[in-house]
Amino acid sequence: MKQILKSSSLCGAMLALSMSTALAVDLELYFPVAVGGDAANIIQEMTEQYMAENADVEINAIYTGSYADTTTRAITAARGGNPPHLAILSAVDVFMLQDEGLVEAWDSYLTKDELETWVGGFYDAFRANTYKVGKTWGIPFQRSTPVMYYNKDAFKAAGLDPEAPPSNWEELIEAGKKLTVRDDSDNVTQWGVRIPSSGFPYWPFQALAIANGAELMNEEGTETYFDQPAVIEALEFFVDLSKKHEIMAPGIVDWGATPRAFLDGETAMAITTTGNLTNIRTNATFDLGVAMLPKNKQYGVATGGGDFFLFKGHDEESTRAAIDFVKWATAPEQAATWSIATGYVAPRPDIWETEKMKEYVREAPGALVARNQLEHAVAEFSTYENARVRQILNDAIAAAIVGEKSAEQALKDAQSEADAVLKLYRQ
Amino acid sequence: MTTTAIKQTQVSSGSSVREISFDRILFVTGAWALALVWLLPLLYAVWTAIHPSAYETRFDLFAPLTLENFVEAWNAAPFARYFVNTILLVTMILSAQLVLCTLAGFAFARLEFPGKNLLFSLVLLQLMVMPDILIVRNYAAMSSLGLVDTILAIGLPYFASGFAIFLLRQTFKTIPKELDEAARIEGCTLLGLLWRVYVPLAKPTMLAFGLVSVSHHWNNFIWPLIITSSTETRPLTVGLSIFATTDSGIEWSIINAATLITSGPLLIGFLLFQRQFVQSFMRAGIK
Repeated sequence: MKQILKSSSLCGAMLALSMSTALAVDLELYFPVAVGGDAANIIQEMTEQYMAENADVEINAIYTGSYADTTTRAITAARGGNPPHLAILSAVDVFMLQDEGLVEAWDSYLTKDELETWVGGFYDAFRANTYKVGKTWGIPFQRSTPVMYYNKDAFKAAGLDPEAPPSNWEELIEAGKKLTVRDDSDNVTQWGVRIPSSGFPYWPFQALAIANGAELMNEEGTETYFDQPAVIEALEFFVDLSKKHEIMAPGIVDWGATPRAFLDGETAMAITTTGNLTNIRTNATFDLGVAMLPKNKQYGVATGGGDFFLFKGHDEESTRAAIDFVKWATAPEQAATWSIATGYVAPRPDIWETEKMKEYVREAPGALVARNQLEHAVAEFSTYENARVRQILNDAIAAAIVGEKSAEQALKDAQSEADAVLKLYRQ
Repeated sequence: MTTTAIKQTQVSSGSSVREISFDRILFVTGAWALALVWLLPLLYAVWTAIHPSAYETRFDLFAPLTLENFVEAWNAAPFARYFVNTILLVTMILSAQLVLCTLAGFAFARLEFPGKNLLFSLVLLQLMVMPDILIVRNYAAMSSLGLVDTILAIGLPYFASGFAIFLLRQTFKTIPKELDEAARIEGCTLLGLLWRVYVPLAKPTMLAFGLVSVSHHWNNFIWPLIITSSTETRPLTVGLSIFATTDSGIEWSIINAATLITSGPLLIGFLLFQRQFVQSFMRAGIK
């Protein structure tokens, strides 16, 4: 006991010591890790490199678990009077963070030129989630979109052209039927396609809805459009992939196991995040293809991932220092390293112009698909009370997939539940 | 197994004997079935941890064995330091809980003082409140004490465990008054009485509570994650969470290797002292 007290007081003493020798500005950055590889180490290395280049700034990069954990920690610390300067949080939390009054817009700290060249330099699709009421609330950093991975060898075996992956829903069903392989006792040994429906089914589902010409929410985050005919059609399509066309495994399809199932040849096509590219590319034992998600009325996906958020409650000097760090971290050289190491989509056109990135694209042409798809990408589903509304949608999708409710009924119920939650925010 | 057992029942003559052995078959199969269900995830963890990731979802008896997953998992986070932190943390919490809660439990069981019932109901109230609800308040308290990012801060909110106080009070109440009085007549002081009479008789309860407490704090995640920031203070669970890579697909081999590393000491400890634990659970009546 004594020893423990001693060791913790020792820690305290060390902390105090490091604080007394602290330089001009001390910054705290909370970051989550949601992809494999060395994401956490890379962020630590980036901050160390920055500190080496800028001797008057001390950045304490603190790993804070998943996105949800990081949000919890940031809120707790801010309420406890100890907010971080910066946190990388899920971009869809923007309404909640604003509502709670925890974050500030970046605009007032930036010159007009910076607003145009720096903030304006990010892809619009990535800015869409956090650019609200004419103000920038988040700076895109670790962003992704879903793409379609496919097994070229399986395409050849099924007599399909491996260079022409399905580009619309009809072709997807046709190809899927050819790619679904059954053994003598009628057990499926290879499914045609796999769209995960566990955890956050709203994300792949939103892509289907957009492809069908639908919007799930308004920009203000106060309305949802779950019961629109185009949305219902999209969910019916999702359900029919296994029920009617029998080209996808029935029931809830796990998200985390999807890359492994694809690598093991259990499915010929899989829709999942670009964050998987490095993993799948290095472990695939077959010829790998990457394609945009098939369109119906139009191409379309939702972006995903995290932005830098600026927390309130600090003096101007440290806030400006924090902004300088973010500028440096999103500059082409650093952002290219980050994107190559993690598989996140580089969020600015100028990053793709760097030598590093060009070489990476030569090695992994699949990375380009995500960039080209950005043209058709929209903001990820996000409303006020995001966690609750999103769960309502997730539950509706799950209910339709397991056959508890029809797609129409599930979405109509979800809409009235979402209305009840969002009513408060509509005045 | 079942068929031979049924044959045996057919051979046996008396109806009561038949009933008993039928009961026994049910019990034994039930126990085995439950044990298997409980064991399966662990077996899967061991299987994936000692094979290359290509065998995560394929069973092949002759799959190549490897320890690489353990090496990779161990190197992904400073686990050695985290082990030290976790062990410090659970020892600190358990010792503080045992001292504080034994004293409090004894006072509630055997002493008379004004406001006793009110105080005791406040302690009971603590059992009704989910600890997660208090995270923001606890953080603010630790922050005002200047303890943020220390191991002490992880443990402090749990020192006065309502559960332990309640449990020990109930145990102390069952100890015969005669023993208490006999010790008093012999001239034992109050603390001596507690130490010589009550504590030895409550040992099974304390052991059972110790197990619950250690395993709970060994596995606790969100509070330590929130209150700590540096490698020097963070426990194992925070290191483990780095493998929860939901966006990019979960690497079962490595996450299971890491899980085995972090839960290994507790598992081994339990297997070694299994008999004592089971006995003390039966005596203490915790389930």
